[in-house]
Amino acid sequence: MTKDVIVTQNISKTYGKPPLQVFALRDTNLEIKQGDYIAIIGPSGSGKSTLMNLLGCLDKPSTGKIFIDGRDISTLNGNELARIRREKIGFIFQKYNLIPTLNALENIELSMGFAGVDSQTRTKKAKQLLEMVELSKRLTHKPSEMSGGEQQRVAIARALANNPSIILADEPTGNVDTKSGDNIMRILEDVNRKGETIIVVTHNMAIAQRAKRVLRIQDGEVREDHV
Amino acid sequence: MFRDHVKIAVKNLRNRLSRSLLTLLGIAIGIMAIISLMALGEGMQQAVTGQLSSLSDVVIVSTGGGGFASFGGGGSTGEYFTQRDVADIQRLQGVKQVSTQLSGAGLAEYNGKTTIVSLTGMDVGVMRLQFATQNLEAGGFLSEGEQNEIMIGYSIAHNTFDTSISIGGRIKINGAKFFVSGIFGKQGFGGSSSDTLVLMSSRDFQKLTGQSNISLIYLRVYNVNDAESIATSIQTTINGNHGQKDFATATTMTSILKTVQSIIGILQLVLVAIASIALVVASIGIMNTMLTSVMERTREIGIMKAIGATNLDIMSIFIIEGILVSSIGGIIGIILGVFGSQGLTLILNSFMSMGSGSRLTPIITLMSVVLAVSVSIIVGVLSSLYPAWKAARMSPIEAVRYE
Repeated sequence: MTKDVIVTQNISKTYGKPPLQVFALRDTNLEIKQGDYIAIIGPSGSGKSTLMNLLGCLDKPSTGKIFIDGRDISTLNGNELARIRREKIGFIFQKYNLIPTLNALENIELSMGFAGVDSQTRTKKAKQLLEMVELSKRLTHKPSEMSGGEQQRVAIARALANNPSIILADEPTGNVDTKSGDNIMRILEDVNRKGETIIVVTHNMAIAQRAKRVLRIQDGEVREDHV
Repeated sequence: MFRDHVKIAVKNLRNRLSRSLLTLLGIAIGIMAIISLMALGEGMQQAVTGQLSSLSDVVIVSTGGGGFASFGGGGSTGEYFTQRDVADIQRLQGVKQVSTQLSGAGLAEYNGKTTIVSLTGMDVGVMRLQFATQNLEAGGFLSEGEQNEIMIGYSIAHNTFDTSISIGGRIKINGAKFFVSGIFGKQGFGGSSSDTLVLMSSRDFQKLTGQSNISLIYLRVYNVNDAESIATSIQTTINGNHGQKDFATATTMTSILKTVQSIIGILQLVLVAIASIALVVASIGIMNTMLTSVMERTREIGIMKAIGATNLDIMSIFIIEGILVSSIGGIIGIILGVFGSQGLTLILNSFMSMGSGSRLTPIITLMSVVLAVSVSIIVGVLSSLYPAWKAARMSPIEAVRYE
């Protein structure tokens, strides 16, 4: 039996106060196991980004509890959440979000730097990761000198740098052409096969169908959860 | 981790090079002003101290309440000390050496023109000390054992007679021949000017005038620390001798030195305070630039937070940036200040002809450099604190979404 990486208990996210309260997410219960490959789909405004932010410890639920590797994170403060993010979670954004002033290698090393990894280990690991995403020849290129697909691959390498328990990808192929998109998904799936938990938020059905499990969200509620 | 913070800060500064340089220039100018004004003040302080401290064991006793005013010239109160006064002073404990300055009038003749001059006689050994702050236009001080030689002031040499007198010139005073062996430079300012001085040895003075009107008693003490108490007891003794309350005033060089130093100290403080305004303006400049930079880098801050940067990480990146700008600015300011103080002194020297002829030299002390460096670092921290706090407080979700 594989262990649960993320468990949510009745989490809700609301904005405003009653009676004008708006539910971005309502009483959501999820169990995500080690090695899962999940796609979260839904129209815009459905609450999928909210769910993603909560799972990624970027935000805290209004009510309910979230356990990551067995630890309740709904009561943690900003700095403790930051620690969880750098140890447990790897983010991949639609717009790559690399630091523009740093080159590929430095971007990957930075997240390890925040985690306190010494510089020799960092450089070695960053080079390995860039090799894995087939960018060994782009080590010292700045984001502006790379294509969208290449930047996204650097972002994947960065997400993997601290050996996270979960990879959260928000529309990872949203800004790249189909071929690069496919390449990106293949890399993510390789990572998943090695045991990494992958959660992809997308509204691209073709991407979603590649996942082992699909969560459809509408009006802040999980409507469909099929494996 | 600290190295990463520095690295990011440096890259950010390089990325906005012209803006960073302009911000840095503000700090540099502020520090330059402080350094050069402090150097100038220190130069003044040391010039005055240097001139006066060689006389720090000296006590001058003059008649009347004039005190220091009669120093260098002749007493003009019409009252003179007696031999008994001198003997009394010599008897006091701690007094090393007593000499007197004699004053009187004489008839001087040069090149056929005759005029009345005031004569001053004093021990040859004392002259050099008493006029230490006075530069010579030509010649030198009188030396021991030489007779019938005099030193004259600038206006005696150049303005009193039809033609200028030069070294070796012969002046008849009360019928006796004297050779000019030294001419004092123009004093320029100050009431009791040495410009009209006709200075000769005490022996020559007495031989010439037959008088010994002691206008000034000049003494040195063994221990500088005793100067003040000796001065007080001299005043009491002499006032007692003459039965007058304010007959004599004894002035120590140390007290004069202290007064002058404190005046220059205040002046220095005022100068630095004015220069600090430039620094305040510069630190507002840093804050402004940093706030803009926080706005521009909202997204970047969000990314860093998403990948695990703590609030402390973000704050330290921005504070390091502020410190870098201000401390590099500070170092450039120090370098500019070194040149600036030279330039400032050059201008000041050309405007003021210092009476004693000594030119002002700026002195940059280690203290002022340390002060400048630490002030610039403090400015960097303070002015980046608010922008850094603003950056750290940003929510990662909103920051990542920020376009």
